[in-house]
Amino acid sequence: MRPYILPMLAAVLLALVPLVVEDSYTRHLFIVAFVYAIIASNWDLSLGYAGLFNFGHLGFFATGVYTAAIAAKTLAITPWLAMPLGGVTAALAALLIAAPVARLRGIYVVLVTFAFAQLMLQLILSQSHITGGAGGMVGIPGLEIGEYRFIRDRKLGYYHVSLGLLVLSTIHLLFLTKSSFGRSLLALRDNEDYARARGVSIARQRVMALVLSAVFPGVAGGFFAIYLRVAAPEVLGFGTLSLALSMVLIGGSASIFGPILAAIALTFATEAMAGIRGMEEARFVVVAIGMVLVLRFAPGGMIRIMDGGGKR
Amino acid sequence: MIETVISTLLSGIVLGALYALMASGLSMIWTTLGVFNFTHGALMMIGAFMAWTVSEAIGLGIYAGLVAGIGATALLGVIIEYMVIRPFHGRANMILITVMTTLAVMIILEKSAQMIWGPRLKQLPRLIEGDVSIFGAVISAHEALIVVLAPVILIALWVFATRTMVGRSLRAVGQNQDAAALLGINVPLTFAIAFGLGAALAGLTGVLLGGIRFVTPNLGVEPIIKAMTVVIFGGLGSLGATVGAAFVIGFAEAFLILVVGLYWTPFALFIGLILVLIFRPNGLFGRA
Repeated sequence: MRPYILPMLAAVLLALVPLVVEDSYTRHLFIVAFVYAIIASNWDLSLGYAGLFNFGHLGFFATGVYTAAIAAKTLAITPWLAMPLGGVTAALAALLIAAPVARLRGIYVVLVTFAFAQLMLQLILSQSHITGGAGGMVGIPGLEIGEYRFIRDRKLGYYHVSLGLLVLSTIHLLFLTKSSFGRSLLALRDNEDYARARGVSIARQRVMALVLSAVFPGVAGGFFAIYLRVAAPEVLGFGTLSLALSMVLIGGSASIFGPILAAIALTFATEAMAGIRGMEEARFVVVAIGMVLVLRFAPGGMIRIMDGGGKR
Repeated sequence: MIETVISTLLSGIVLGALYALMASGLSMIWTTLGVFNFTHGALMMIGAFMAWTVSEAIGLGIYAGLVAGIGATALLGVIIEYMVIRPFHGRANMILITVMTTLAVMIILEKSAQMIWGPRLKQLPRLIEGDVSIFGAVISAHEALIVVLAPVILIALWVFATRTMVGRSLRAVGQNQDAAALLGINVPLTFAIAFGLGAALAGLTGVLLGGIRFVTPNLGVEPIIKAMTVVIFGGLGSLGATVGAAFVIGFAEAFLILVVGLYWTPFALFIGLILVLIFRPNGLFGRA
């Protein structure tokens, strides 16, 4: 239990943040940061722990975004149900993509998963009568209980929903990585032949790693659509991809907490840069350069520097 | 009916030639360096923008622009190799790391282009004006040039790789670096040459593409996806497999547009791709 005291303390502190932070813009940044933290830490399960060269994780997030948007707006399903529905369809998408990925190796996994995310983008753009095309969908119903709209009290409700999702997602990831399933993933990554000799099925573990790491990004996507009340194809752009990837790498892959910390830090940093004139595009360049520098000089990511030493 | 068939075949040839050009540089860098170069599409875009700057902004004409585009991307390729490929050379997870670093450089190039040239659409002049009519179906002379140029360039690349000293050393390094080094081949130099050459091919493709499509910072996005599809389809083994796959995809796409329409074509191609990979994990023409 001891290693989790710090994260639990952090979660409690984050829950108390709205008492101090009153302005709705800063709270908005926290909400966005929590969503990115869910994407990055779950991506870390397949990329870092399973060593699967998966570059399609934003495809799962986008699946959640558009599932919730279509469910809540077009089908008039309550947003409370539309959000988890995003997790279900994201898991299904992961299952679909896992079929070829389970048999492929190395670079082919990168190519197929990358192509999957791009295909999602093309599908969204071309099926504009359902998805709104390049303009996206607007006016998606927000969360409410009775008469209380969650946007009120300066987004207090949304803040706690997103934090709650992040906590749930983190527990899910910790549980998975500490279980025998998590250990079998590490074994496959570090010594495939040995793991297989011990009876670990590479195909089954890969499918499970992909599906289990897609659920929470899908729910987070659903939340994102409901919270912003907008679903836009930009979630699949290279800008978002590089930002999420840099969170995994700069934070430290195969560490869960590293990507979460990096997500919060980078969301605030890039948002601060966006406020400076002429930096709107340059901030992505800064993040990309940071990513290369970390890969070059601190391959374990920031969390391992803080731990002192590059050991796993 | 017959006209539809001819024009579909013709557009298949044009697409196939374009895709072969897009994918050949990518495939070459993969076979020599074992690096999947995500900057390939962005280099096409830079090539087109450099050509535009020299040809239109400075006014030296499209042929000077062509030279500038190819030269700039070749130089950029050598720089990229030096900065983000070489430091990771020999690491166990080099494939994954270089995917990430080239992805990062792709973002840097795209965003820089947006800051330098702005988001406004630009157009490159065609290398040849006018149209060509073949059996009643009409394509532009520029497209016809691409169809003629693609095999010439690919054959030149093949001759270079099999008949010249430098080309042979590229292949030797691709097959066994240690043995190549023992034979006295300068491996780092070979890496730089391979990357520069691949980048130059991207630049040339970009200039050709600029005569058909608008030049924007996103010009390279669709080509890199297409080139990826081609190399997955053909298997990343050899130039021949890549070219074969490029034409298979080109014809498939032209045919699919006719049958399922423009919107569903990428989806149908992707499903085909998944099926190929399930049954032949090393690509259509790949060997295990």
